[in-house]
Amino acid sequence: MNETAIIDKILIVDDSPVARKILKSCIPADKGYELHEADDGTAGLQRFKEVHPSVTFLDITMAHMDGMECLEEIKMLDQDAVVVMCTADIQPKSAQKAENLGAFTMIKKPPSKNVVREVLERVERHLTRAE
Amino acid sequence: MKENKTPTLTPDELDVLQEIMNIAFGRATADLADLIDIFINLSVPHVALIGRSELSTYLTEEVIDRKGGISLVEQRFWGRFLGSALLVFPANAGKELITLLAAGPETQSFESDPIGELEKGVLMEVANILIGACVGKIAELLGDVVTYSPPTVIVNQDDDKSFSGHGNGSDEGSVIVLRTIFRFERRDVSGYLFLLTGDTTVTWLKKALQGFMEQFS
Repeated sequence: MNETAIIDKILIVDDSPVARKILKSCIPADKGYELHEADDGTAGLQRFKEVHPSVTFLDITMAHMDGMECLEEIKMLDQDAVVVMCTADIQPKSAQKAENLGAFTMIKKPPSKNVVREVLERVERHLTRAE
Repeated sequence: MKENKTPTLTPDELDVLQEIMNIAFGRATADLADLIDIFINLSVPHVALIGRSELSTYLTEEVIDRKGGISLVEQRFWGRFLGSALLVFPANAGKELITLLAAGPETQSFESDPIGELEKGVLMEVANILIGACVGKIAELLGDVVTYSPPTVIVNQDDDKSFSGHGNGSDEGSVIVLRTIFRFERRDVSGYLFLLTGDTTVTWLKKALQGFMEQFS
């Protein structure tokens, strides 16, 4: 782990193992991030409490506690939590709802390496300013 | 002796297909939301590989609580990804959707004309968008291009009869069924989208799914 890194732990919450694998492949491997996973909103909330990630990637459409509900719970636990919605539900009203609930940003599936790298750089700048 | 083995998909391949269906239907609903001011609640898609002879029973059992009958729009698609899409709504869905797409004096005629032309037109338009965007996105993600037949609206009050004849003849082989359930917010309308594809697609599909995942390895 790089001592100067702002982001250390990343949590990925998605009920699809394929979606988690795709997202993991897009996260820069050379940064030494500690990656954690959960396969639905309920498990994701539990992992969030245990891990205290710097950033959480959260799917919306999940069977057990959807992403919106999980986001709401996470923000109640930590209003400064950085949550990036990574979803196939790209309806404008979903993006608006996520923003209203405090999501940092939303990226559409399937993510690309460039988009994920760019988002993580934005998160780093955001966290640097917040320190 | 030549082995006559039906090609099939592994559980991992079905997982990839499910995620692709999730992405594709998400795109389709966004396209529909662009056209009309509506929000669509999505569910986790389901992918199953079933025997062709079981298809009619499977579809009938999947579409539960449809005692008032159903409206069904079928559209076929051709490419290396080859099959049929079935969009299934409750029988009164056309009337509900018409208020979103074509509100006006014409809507009055539907009170006495449950299978009116405008109602059919609305169902076909919604089907065109949802099926076209969903199937098109799946094909795009898998490196294919498809063409479509014009959609056909089938209004049938009896669920059991509605789904007969969608096995395309022979009872042999298998069918991949991709199913998603969706609900229009603030409207009493929910629907099902089934994509049915058979043995001829499976061999290509296995390679295409592998190619899709190689981008992320």
